[in-house]
Amino acid sequence: MENVIELQHVQKSFDGFQLKDFSVTVKKGFVTGFIGGNGVGKSTTIKLIMNLLQPDSGTISIFGLNYKEHEKEIKQRIGFVFDENIFYENVTLAEMKGIIKPAYLNWDDNLFNHYVQTFELPLNKKIKAFSKGMMMKASLTIALSHHAELIIMDEPTSGLDPIFRRELLDILHDLMQDGDKTIFFSTHITTDLDRIADYITFIHNGEHIFTKEFYKVEEEYAIVKGGMELLDGDTEQEFIAIRKSVHGFVALTDNKTRIENIFGETVLIEKPTLEDIMFYTKKGSEKHV
Amino acid sequence: MFNLIRKDFVLQKTTLMIMIPVLVVYLFLGTSSIWIGIVFSIVITINAYTIDEKSSINMLLNSLPYTRKEIVSSKYIGAFIFTCLVVFIIFIGNLIIHQEITIWKDILLIVSLVMVAISFIFPFLYKFKSQYMLTSSLVLFAIYLVVITLFIPNLNDKIEEFVQMLLTLQTAQYYLFIALLVMALYACSWLLSIRIYGKKVF
Repeated sequence: MENVIELQHVQKSFDGFQLKDFSVTVKKGFVTGFIGGNGVGKSTTIKLIMNLLQPDSGTISIFGLNYKEHEKEIKQRIGFVFDENIFYENVTLAEMKGIIKPAYLNWDDNLFNHYVQTFELPLNKKIKAFSKGMMMKASLTIALSHHAELIIMDEPTSGLDPIFRRELLDILHDLMQDGDKTIFFSTHITTDLDRIADYITFIHNGEHIFTKEFYKVEEEYAIVKGGMELLDGDTEQEFIAIRKSVHGFVALTDNKTRIENIFGETVLIEKPTLEDIMFYTKKGSEKHV
Repeated sequence: MFNLIRKDFVLQKTTLMIMIPVLVVYLFLGTSSIWIGIVFSIVITINAYTIDEKSSINMLLNSLPYTRKEIVSSKYIGAFIFTCLVVFIIFIGNLIIHQEITIWKDILLIVSLVMVAISFIFPFLYKFKSQYMLTSSLVLFAIYLVVITLFIPNLNDKIEEFVQMLLTLQTAQYYLFIALLVMALYACSWLLSIRIYGKKVF
């Protein structure tokens, strides 16, 4: 399977934060959800992918090309959405289109008008008067109007009302129908991913924890509940993290079958949500530190 | 890259609509063409820079299919075009209002001095932020005051003399030499800005 995005052994340090030997791939033709808490490196990774930041070491290739030689070629094929307003504030959406359109070889006015109508966007209102939702719709309209093969979004659903979040996910779902497009988007609203993500990439404290097919995550990981008497020095090692209370323990494992073999019927095994996985992974990494 | 320069004109539409009549008024009042030419060119150029200064706008421009080199270059070429525009208006204005043809030495002086100023201002802006411009110009002004009071009391006269001397030079070779020198400075500044901007983090 072809990789659209490939980061290999990327290192990037700032004051008080670093990406350590970070390698991740994004498969062509699928939706990959990029999850992790606040400040763990999601935006940094997206900026590295967009060449807004250069890595200290390691390689980044997009569509199999590197930024050093093919910067414009790569960016022609990317549609981007950021969680903040990146447009000029004192212009209208029509004027903003006039500024961006000439940058793209494949700009499609029909497509642009189609989305403007779908989203009911005002063309002649200043962008600074747009609400958060309208801003997101406008960004998305621009990102989708030049037949981009790769759509990269940083927290597109944050700050949106539930109705539009659903609409957005439906639009993304429709986009994926022709099979050529790839979507990579970060979010911390994990329920968004249940609806459309094929792959999940999880990052924590600048480290890549896993990239897995969504259904495999659900197959491998499990929430385990049981009585305190089952826990001892050995069995505790089997879990990523454990939450103990007087009523018993709740823990996360990434090897469901093994836990079933060890504990059998004595524990209750449940399907974890992505939030559970994020929560326990964070707890687990704190314990080891 | 042409698109980036065009963008600076589009975004400054209103500013230009206000600046140009003001410039004509100054011409009408008979203010020195050289002086207003320099001030207007620099103001328009810096304004074009500050519109793009926000980091969110830098994110936009850098996410679009442009290279950092092109983004910086568009500003340098744009500055030159803005200066030519101002000079052109002064030329036409003087012709219509005062029925006089602006001599080429004046035009050369305006363009050269603007280019020299921009050569220092742009790398400064790319390195720091425009809010430090005010502080640093105040510092420069203070230095200037100290210099004229303590060391060279007739600095202004000397500058004036020097400018007069430049404008009355007889041989074209000197002008060619000065023009080349200014272009070399502009080119160095351009390369320096590309280097600075290339390392910027948004």
